[in-house]
Amino acid sequence: MTFSQKDFSRKDTVKSAEDTLRIIASLPAPEGLTDRVNSRLRTAPRTVRLLSWTPGAGGWGYGSALRGAAAAAIVCVVAGGGWRIYSRVQPAPGAGAVALPAPGGAARGGFSIGGSVHTPDPRPVLQHQPALVEKDGVGTNRPPQSRDAVPPIPNNQPVSDQAKKQGKGRPAPSATPPARPK
Amino acid sequence: MEIAPGAVQDETRQHVEEEALAALVSQYASTLYRVAFSVLRNPSDAEDAVQETFLRVLRHRNGLGEIRDHRVWLIRIVWNIVLDRKRRAKTRPETDDVSELARVLPATGLSAEESAAAAQHHAHVLELVERLPAKEREVLVLSAFQELSSVEIAGVLGATESTVRSRLFRARNLMADLLQRPRSTR
Repeated sequence: MTFSQKDFSRKDTVKSAEDTLRIIASLPAPEGLTDRVNSRLRTAPRTVRLLSWTPGAGGWGYGSALRGAAAAAIVCVVAGGGWRIYSRVQPAPGAGAVALPAPGGAARGGFSIGGSVHTPDPRPVLQHQPALVEKDGVGTNRPPQSRDAVPPIPNNQPVSDQAKKQGKGRPAPSATPPARPK
Repeated sequence: MEIAPGAVQDETRQHVEEEALAALVSQYASTLYRVAFSVLRNPSDAEDAVQETFLRVLRHRNGLGEIRDHRVWLIRIVWNIVLDRKRRAKTRPETDDVSELARVLPATGLSAEESAAAAQHHAHVLELVERLPAKEREVLVLSAFQELSSVEIAGVLGATESTVRSRLFRARNLMADLLQRPRSTR
């Protein structure tokens, strides 16, 4: 009998492969396997027990009291250790302050700020007014202007030299932006 | 001296469980060994797997009465154990060696030359089986056990019977392709 693959058709080829698996599947078990398994089972622990607790002289009541005392001792040790660490480690003063990086850090090996420098904006801050509610048709939609507010300058009027001298050439920012000149 | 009835019941129950377990061992140890050997192809590993199977059964012996088909249940346990071992070992089975196969496989009525050729062929087939995708390979290996029906194979693998059939069909086609390729291209 030869095992040349050319002699076999496709079906026979697979059948021969399955024969190999069948031969392996039918190999007999070694002698004494059952006895060895049985002896192993006899010596094996019956149940998996973690921290098996044998009762003492006073029975299970005594054992449970001891167990409670041991648990309390463990709790005390853990809590004491935690308190010790907490009492020793104090938060550093001023830890909440955030140190800003100095400009030019890149020259000293730090990160560069890319030339951007924060400059304060001198213009007055826009007051954000809440939306007005018209009451009984009497109210108005215009926001109330404070006494310090500067009225907008009409766009079509040229700014006079006197006004420029007084520093009123630039219109003050207001809640309603001026219209763009056409 | 009085003996507590609870202690007697426990002892009786334990005795019954031991007898049931011993019966399972004597009935199925051989089958489990063959299943384990077909995957691991190493006698000592296969025996270890069988022992581990029964140790697991020992731990869960309280639920033995609820098992419908002990054979399929045990084969499923040993199957999972051997697959896990094979995954961890990631080594080729010992018997893929041709000389080892020639020693293990029966060679009655064959001359030395024929026996060597047969061992070489078997080694080649087993090598190709290892190349199959895992699911197809598992079905093909289990289908070699003539005592296992497709329903039982499905029970072992946790799949439906139709899935088992389609995987077996694919596995056979793949094996045919692999076997018909010339060896030089592999």
